[in-house]
Amino acid sequence: MFENIDKEDLKYVGKGVERVDGLEKCTGDALYASDLFLQGMLFAKVKTSPYASARIKKIDVSKAAALPGVRSVLTGAELNYRVGLYIVDKYILAKGIVRHQGEAVAAVAADTEDIAKRAVELIEVEYEELNPVLDPVKALDKDSPLVHPDLGKYSFVEAAFTPKPGTNIANHTKLRKGDVEKGFKESDYIFEREYANPSVQHVPMETHVSIAQWQTGDKITIWTSAQSPFTVRNLFCYSFGISHKNVRVIVPYVGGGFGGKAGIALEPLVACLSKKAGGKPVKLQATREEEFNLLACRSALKYRIKTGVKKDGKIVAQKMTMFWDSGAYADYAVNVTRASGYSAGGPYEIPNAWLDAYTIYTNKVYGTAYRGFGHVEFFWGLERHFEYIADNLKIDPLKFRLINTLKPGGKTLTGETIHHHTGNVTKCLELVAKSINYGKKTPEEIKREKKNKTIIGKGLSALHKAPAMPPFTGTVVILKMNEDGSIIANLSLTDYGAGTYTSIAQIIAEQLKMSVDRIKVAVETDTDRDPYDWQTVASKGLIMSGNAAILASQDLLDKMYDMASQILRCGKCDLRHDNEKVFVVHAPERFVNYKEMAVGYAYSNGNGIGGPLIGVGRYMAAGLTNLDKETGQGNPALDWTYGAHAVIVELDPETGEYSLIKSASAFDAGKVINTKAARGQCIGGFIQGYGTAACEGYIYNNKGQLMNPSFTDNKIPTAKDIPEQMDLFFVETAQLDGPYGARGIGEHSMIGVAPAIGNALKNMTGIELLHMPIRAEDVWKAMSDLKMKKNKK
Amino acid sequence: MKTITFKINGSKYSKDVEEHKTLLRFLREDLHLTGTKEGCGAGECGACIVLVNGAPVNSCLMLAVEIDGSEVTTIEGVSKNGQPNSLQKAFEKHHAVQCGFCTPGMILTATDLLKRKPKPTEAEIKEAIEGNFCRCTGYVQIIEAIKDASGQLKSTEE
Amino acid sequence: MAEKFEYYDPKTVKELCKTLDEVGSKTKILAGGTDLIVEMRAGIKKPAGVIDVKKIKELKGIDFDAKKGLRIGSCVTCNELGRNPVIEKKYSILAECAESIASYALRNRATIAGNLCNASPCADMAPGLLVLGALITIVSSSGEKTIKLSDFFTGVKKTVLQPNEFVKEIIIPAEKANSKCKYMKQKRIKGHDLSMVSVAMAVKDKITVAIGSAYITPVVLPEFAKSTKVEKIIEAALSVVKPITDIRSSKEYRLHIIGVYIKRLYEQLVK
Repeated sequence: MFENIDKEDLKYVGKGVERVDGLEKCTGDALYASDLFLQGMLFAKVKTSPYASARIKKIDVSKAAALPGVRSVLTGAELNYRVGLYIVDKYILAKGIVRHQGEAVAAVAADTEDIAKRAVELIEVEYEELNPVLDPVKALDKDSPLVHPDLGKYSFVEAAFTPKPGTNIANHTKLRKGDVEKGFKESDYIFEREYANPSVQHVPMETHVSIAQWQTGDKITIWTSAQSPFTVRNLFCYSFGISHKNVRVIVPYVGGGFGGKAGIALEPLVACLSKKAGGKPVKLQATREEEFNLLACRSALKYRIKTGVKKDGKIVAQKMTMFWDSGAYADYAVNVTRASGYSAGGPYEIPNAWLDAYTIYTNKVYGTAYRGFGHVEFFWGLERHFEYIADNLKIDPLKFRLINTLKPGGKTLTGETIHHHTGNVTKCLELVAKSINYGKKTPEEIKREKKNKTIIGKGLSALHKAPAMPPFTGTVVILKMNEDGSIIANLSLTDYGAGTYTSIAQIIAEQLKMSVDRIKVAVETDTDRDPYDWQTVASKGLIMSGNAAILASQDLLDKMYDMASQILRCGKCDLRHDNEKVFVVHAPERFVNYKEMAVGYAYSNGNGIGGPLIGVGRYMAAGLTNLDKETGQGNPALDWTYGAHAVIVELDPETGEYSLIKSASAFDAGKVINTKAARGQCIGGFIQGYGTAACEGYIYNNKGQLMNPSFTDNKIPTAKDIPEQMDLFFVETAQLDGPYGARGIGEHSMIGVAPAIGNALKNMTGIELLHMPIRAEDVWKAMSDLKMKKNKK
Repeated sequence: MKTITFKINGSKYSKDVEEHKTLLRFLREDLHLTGTKEGCGAGECGACIVLVNGAPVNSCLMLAVEIDGSEVTTIEGVSKNGQPNSLQKAFEKHHAVQCGFCTPGMILTATDLLKRKPKPTEAEIKEAIEGNFCRCTGYVQIIEAIKDASGQLKSTEE
Repeated sequence: MAEKFEYYDPKTVKELCKTLDEVGSKTKILAGGTDLIVEMRAGIKKPAGVIDVKKIKELKGIDFDAKKGLRIGSCVTCNELGRNPVIEKKYSILAECAESIASYALRNRATIAGNLCNASPCADMAPGLLVLGALITIVSSSGEKTIKLSDFFTGVKKTVLQPNEFVKEIIIPAEKANSKCKYMKQKRIKGHDLSMVSVAMAVKDKITVAIGSAYITPVVLPEFAKSTKVEKIIEAALSVVKPITDIRSSKEYRLHIIGVYIKRLYEQLVK
């Protein structure tokens, strides 16, 4: 929206305005759900399964219940409620069967955390260990045990998903474009390989924490560290059959989410514990260890790609098969499958495409949304694959990509037409390539190699992503003017770090032409008081809530103009506003201040008009469709954000250790609203992507037990692990329906990091890594194997 | 229970504390100083860092009884007279804060660093904050904020 | 930690001996707490009490005597060791080892003896101390004894310490001062991490090599003459160590890195 506003005229949009929540977070004043201690609050702990798959033969809670200070004990036997975002497949506590190690089988609420912990240790569970389903591909075998024998009985979102009862398939997404077999026949070469990555933990610094109070008359209040208060409420009400008016969800400051807190998690359990404890509030905070396997993770993926190309590098056909390891429950994984399915070809023109993407149940920690929503995972394969094809065709990998990038007039996998204003991936690729001197080594780099006894190499990757959301997603922003003319904005998009609230404040300031310091975006969201938002996910926050903020500002202005036209005795068409005044355009000395109208205008004799000022902006994604279940054709994308990554990697060839000398990222952001926040998203995302690329990931033993559920053995990048230099570029091809032309960039910054590194390592050594993470040992091993292979020849 | 006497953020206290309570839990649960955060409880992430007699420690791995006779500074004691100090201002200015959960520990770590090394090099900053995990920012803007607070940032870098 | 326990804080070595005699078998010594509290939180250890030894002056301090050598009190923290001028000048490898442990804040608490008594095969202090021929002084109410550090470790998380004994100090012989030495530690990231494998080398009249994370205890190899070829040293090392494959690294990679590190240390220190 408003793409015609001259950039030069912008006062707040496009500037590095300080964060609206910065100070509270620097003083310790910002209260997170974990910081809340309510009157009479009880503390909960859970008993978890040591087995990946087992039948619960007996649970004896008598000793726990008898411990002084224990107020409620629950097992799955008492709770007949199932929860689920897209497939309602998960009991609040395991009932009869446990489906992954770490799953909760019983829970206790007690006066103190210590008592709860001791009580949990007193719970005795007798299990019959079952044969776990661990390999997602083998899980498709006809004789595989079923993780959910009752799959056919579960309710699910039928418009988008296709579970297959009697199998371990939670969802099968299909996509058919053109004639893929014909395409392969027309191809000069065909390349096929499989790429893999493990499950990964989000690692928000604040682990999941929820407090609930279930009062008499089924009145429930929930305080929770969650991204999406309305989704928590909606799913909660669905599971318990309670009216939405009875359930209030409050989200204070959130200590990071990255998708892990997108849906519903601990809330139903603490609510049930509270109900059983007579309505006292109950708090449950996951330990860091529980964060790894009581809560959800990013799904593992095996991605098989078969590509047909012409000699000149033009892609003709591509067949893609995705095996998404959803773990024990479907949660967001089915939608990750759907969203990555329709994006799986990347920002490239693929005339003939065929995709089968399966979400597969296994007896592992269940998968959920994670920054990138499947794209980090499949781009690892896709961009390694395209590098492989380019090498074999003896075409420069950058050139190969540029030949095939989606250009205006091109069609996405779902048949959507690309326009000039969709964005420019070609430019992103060119920018990052230039930034790292792609394809050559500088004299300094050669000198450095000699000095450090290292090898320096370069790699790049392209990326795209659209928000994965229901086609009918909507949001609201409400602006309330205070007595002094300052503004409070209410919205239920949560800002769990991204800085969106600051950008929203800038947009409002720009619209109302008042200082951004005079605008407060209320941090705590409350479903009783704040207007609806679907979820804070998918990099849709800025575009959707930003548009709603523009509409709310215009609504507020419209009401001010109504009043001002009476006060100033002129037509609304003759009014303008600036500097917290509404004035007559041809006689600016005739004006009325915002604050005079804030709660209604009062004439000198006491007569009042207008009423307190409020502006409401409702924004609905327009023109999106469900996808055809057989062909995947339709219009799923609110917007496409394109980008590219490039890296200069320095490798110690003897040990396989490597580090990044430089990174370059470019995104077509449409319009950067806050330069510092955008930079923060892009750097932060890159480092998170580096973690995924280099050192993170779940390691299971052959019984399905997670071997590294802690920071001791699941390392994440520290300040010492960042590249020596990080370049960042923004292309600004305005999104015609985005606020000031903006589109989302929150997730994109981590998508292509791993393949860029993988490609750089290949370019410098010839090794072909097909699996993430790329540990030093993997590089060393691949180099040793390659050497052996060469020696044999 | 053991009675301990100590100073927190300049105020003197005498309190009974259970022997098995960590300093982190004591601060949060008994003194309601919730600015100090728990990120892992195992000394890996630095969210719980406070200054004990001026030196940063992971409060999750210290018993509360051990602060008997000591002086503790938490994030609540950093700003003076209702005004943010130079580090807090710099963190705000440089967007060195995203979700904010690591910020208290990060600021206290940086406070100690600037006391030890008023003009730290980039390597020294990284060395100091290595034990403070930040999942959001990728550290760059935090490093810039610390440089700025120590008067080492050229205006072109801002 | 959910379990209650007693807290003892003796002020002298004598008091400590008495406390250990009384409750040593059911308590744990609390120094920096950076291993003990982690294990207590995880429920791996559930002692009935902890004995905080940090208030005992006799266990503190770093002293150097040209004849007696270096004395490191058992409660000296990693950061105290790291910034000590004598260490920096004469025993720099100890500062390297100390500063490779965890992160700065943790090193304000973690003690040298604690790192040894925890007896992890990956204890970072061990290789540095071993190549300097460190001795360890063990005290109980029945007296004091000094043994070689190489005889201190008996297995994974096991030492010769009896429940009534504690480590008073660590001694480095004077003749080891000013050795050319260096510590190399393989980690999974550049930031703080446990070692996947580590190698220390000291060179003076002889070459001494110690290795961490490659056996049930940290190991020190018999001394080599300075004329020894590096291949011989690597061969000797690989015949002693028995690394395992675990989630941090494979056995093969650990063996490879040991070879690379010995070679690199040799190039820096011997050639």
